[in-house]
Amino acid sequence: MKDALLGYALVLPSLLVFGVFVFYPFAKNFSLALHRTPPFPGLPKRYVGLDQVGDVLSSSEFHKSLRVTIEFVLLTVPTGIVLGLLLAVLAHRQLRGIGVYRTIFSSTVASSVAAASVIFFTLLNPQVGLLTYWLGRSGELGVLEDPDTALLAVAVTTIWQNLGLSFILMSAGLQGVPDDLYEAAAVDGANGVRRFWHVTLPMLSPTLFFAAVVGSIMAFQAFGQIDILTEGGPNNETNVLVYSIYKDVFRFGNDGVAAVKAIALFVIVFVLTVIQLRFAERRVSYAR
Amino acid sequence: MPAETEMAARQARRRRQLRLVGRYVLLSALAVIVLFPIYITVVNSLLRPDQIAARPPSLFPTDPQWGAYPDAWTDGHMGRYLLNSVIVTTAIMVGQVLLAILAASAFAFLEFPGRRVLFVVFLATMMVPFEVVFFTNYQTIADLGLLNTYGGLVLPFLATGFGAFLLRQAFLTVPTDLRDAAAMDGYGHWRFLWRVAVPLARPTVAALSVFAFLSAWGQYLWPLVATNDEKARTVQVGLAQLRDTSLNDINVTFAGVVLASVPLIILLLVFQRQLVRGLTAGAVKG
Amino acid sequence: MSRARSSTLQATVVLAAVLTLMVLPGGAGVAAAQSVKCPVKALARASGPVEIVMWHSMNRANEETLQRLTNTFNASQSAVKVQLLNTTSYRDTFTKFRAGLSSGELPDIVQLEDTALQGVIDSRSVVPIGACVKADSYDTKDFVERVLDYYTVGGTLYGMPFNVSNPVLYYNKQAFQKAGLDPNTPPKTLADVRSVSEKLVTSGATKSGYSIKLDPWYLEQWLAKAGKPYVNNGNGRDKRATAVAFNTKAGREIFTWLDSMVDDKLALNTGPPEGNIDNLLAIGAGNSAMTIDTSANLGTILQVLGSGQFPNVTVGVAPMPGPSGKGGVLVGGAALYIPKASSPEKQAAAWEFIKFLNEPSSQAEWSVGTGYVPNRALALDEPVLKAAWAKTPEYKVAYDQLVSGVNNVATAGPVIGPYREVREAVVNAMTRMLTQGVDPKSALADAASTANDQIESYNARVG
Repeated sequence: MKDALLGYALVLPSLLVFGVFVFYPFAKNFSLALHRTPPFPGLPKRYVGLDQVGDVLSSSEFHKSLRVTIEFVLLTVPTGIVLGLLLAVLAHRQLRGIGVYRTIFSSTVASSVAAASVIFFTLLNPQVGLLTYWLGRSGELGVLEDPDTALLAVAVTTIWQNLGLSFILMSAGLQGVPDDLYEAAAVDGANGVRRFWHVTLPMLSPTLFFAAVVGSIMAFQAFGQIDILTEGGPNNETNVLVYSIYKDVFRFGNDGVAAVKAIALFVIVFVLTVIQLRFAERRVSYAR
Repeated sequence: MPAETEMAARQARRRRQLRLVGRYVLLSALAVIVLFPIYITVVNSLLRPDQIAARPPSLFPTDPQWGAYPDAWTDGHMGRYLLNSVIVTTAIMVGQVLLAILAASAFAFLEFPGRRVLFVVFLATMMVPFEVVFFTNYQTIADLGLLNTYGGLVLPFLATGFGAFLLRQAFLTVPTDLRDAAAMDGYGHWRFLWRVAVPLARPTVAALSVFAFLSAWGQYLWPLVATNDEKARTVQVGLAQLRDTSLNDINVTFAGVVLASVPLIILLLVFQRQLVRGLTAGAVKG
Repeated sequence: MSRARSSTLQATVVLAAVLTLMVLPGGAGVAAAQSVKCPVKALARASGPVEIVMWHSMNRANEETLQRLTNTFNASQSAVKVQLLNTTSYRDTFTKFRAGLSSGELPDIVQLEDTALQGVIDSRSVVPIGACVKADSYDTKDFVERVLDYYTVGGTLYGMPFNVSNPVLYYNKQAFQKAGLDPNTPPKTLADVRSVSEKLVTSGATKSGYSIKLDPWYLEQWLAKAGKPYVNNGNGRDKRATAVAFNTKAGREIFTWLDSMVDDKLALNTGPPEGNIDNLLAIGAGNSAMTIDTSANLGTILQVLGSGQFPNVTVGVAPMPGPSGKGGVLVGGAALYIPKASSPEKQAAAWEFIKFLNEPSSQAEWSVGTGYVPNRALALDEPVLKAAWAKTPEYKVAYDQLVSGVNNVATAGPVIGPYREVREAVVNAMTRMLTQGVDPKSALADAASTANDQIESYNARVG
């Protein structure tokens, strides 16, 4: 009995915070989605049932936002994993001074999304940016203002900023591969590449799967780099879902529409997680 | 040794040396690419704007101008922003770890009706991304009059389902005979928690702390909407602000980036091991 | 009929009339506005100094000047004490204001940008400045007509224009000289800009003649210059606007001009977003020689050039070139509003401070320190302004533009609820046209259709 009271008391603070800042706003989204909300408080909101949901989900703006977000995820997540793995493999050897390289490869962990974005924003300045100069585009339409290259630039910034984390993750994974497996493979006559494919990769699959799941979820929630680099433009070519939600609330005062998109975002992330968990459970090879 | 074998051995050695050189070259090239943005940031923070715009570009400051740093610190408010970030991030870290310890101890060591359900509720919160609920939270914080305050920046993040999950796992590894012995010695839950369980779970607590610190430090969306003047603005949003107000003074912007990154760099160098542990928690499972 | 019944009948009739008035579209807003009073005498009732807070988004030199004026005001009397709060940008200020409407955290004076006008009206949260003017018998005779017109809707003046700016032409005199052009004869019409650009490019003086910042007000300002409205219903001033009016021949001409300049490599597209000064940096880098930007940037530009960073640039300032017609330049900048939520004493105090800021000497000091133009003609008589404009006549250009041309419904400016959304539609269309090869006619039509959707949705939500 005393245990029960104590138990409840110990989880209560967390539950309170969850109640106010997770469950209440989550539920409120559904209410907001069903109302046309006024642009200013104090004015009445109108119940419209599923009309607004239908309008938003069928709007070309929402479709574009969805497409842009998916493109962004596809650009950043696989690349980030592959590059991280590449660096980790290269740095996994017993070479003299390898510690310096390992530190350098993990260094981007010291940068934040905002810092990386400010750096790349300035380097890509159309008039005086260094990267602009090296790309031969000095004095022409900026990379971040060109609808064809803006998303790519945002993706590169993100990949760079995540590189350190990816490297650390993959390195930790590599260290988890027991050496005797390699020796056994070598005895069986497997060379470097085959060792990688048949020993390293399967042993890395939990790490890879974790990186893919978490990476995709993070990518779907991207916001800071878009706000700093492109503010959703040009012509909404970088208007990822979260940014679109932010604009709806803070530029246009339209909470109802934002709520519909927020629910859509939730569904996507939820489905993604479930699918990947299911799929991965079958593919992840177990250590004997 | 016969001549042929010697020559073969020498050739093999040379091939190995070439491969070694090749590896170093490859590693160095990649290191340069990875390091370049940070490097150019530091370099440009020590140049004048006209030097930065000069072509061909200077890649090394032969005459470093340190003026951008005091500019960024005072006029650019980076000093204030850093202070705010330190306060807010520490508060979130301490709050999260504390609340997670409390909740996890209940889940791991106590029996009470609804324990399983409540734990699932905690796990469920991990499925709701903050970006899905941030604008209603904004309204809540605004209505509570907590905009532009440390409280408004900290409150929504005090609880973490992930932390509770992690610590519960760590607590579950505490051997049952240890718990029985403690019970027999008259240790209540509270004493047991803080004298036995937490010390044993120290690596996990440290990892969680680092993880919490890092995620709170890098937050952008919430400080952006929860603050709109420099009183409580944190360093991430402050950087974007600095970029806007610096206009042509790119060196000041870059100085701001350096200033904003220094605390993190120091922390990471000191807590490297905990960092790796925190980041890989859950990744490398047997 | 008995006395009681007839007075009841009268009361019922009056009530019915009032209710009917309130239900009529637009009528509600006007009736509501007219019934809000400005308690200008309330200050006398206060027992001590009344402290008020003003939210503003002035930065750098402009903020310093504002602070100086405020200090002067605070020191000159003891009835009112003003505290300034810098809320960073127009956008942030509006967001903060909107949040304050539900949380109660509101200032006593708020500076909101020109485009926020319909939003402020719809929020029903301010004391119309016109009420204060009336209650205090405040003389606005010498105020610049167009500036007051801008903030007057349905006969009510809602905000007091404070920092007035408009777009001017910035050009590099040295580049003109290099191209064999007279540096003191800047282009006046769009055709002029084009021919000047051609000379600049062919002579090799600059890479392109003109840098285009993808600003939505190209369409707004140039239509006003041509004497055409931007939205329907009298530019949104007779009744709430229900559709845009820019998908016309005049609009298409503007878009076509922009498109052909970029296509023929005579102009450079330096892109959105807000706060972007790449069009100016392009002049500094020799990539262009002309651009249109807000007169409010003049101070900063002169400061940057004065630092010697761009020795190849001598800046000239000229009236904004544009299409010809019975029109003129639109008012830009921001205005001061008094939220209803403040106590009567604070509202009165706010009105006192606003009156101070309107004094010819204050307006002169403000203009000299910032580059914004005074909102009244009496300020021009002030010696400090006379001297400053004699020394740097570039500052006078924006004012001259404002008092020249015709004052009509087009130059009064558009009043739009979802202004941001409409602007975004226009900017996106400009992007598609200039970077993705969409033809001007379709781009403009797309912009109009998206903008109209937004206006419909906003109007439905505002009830």
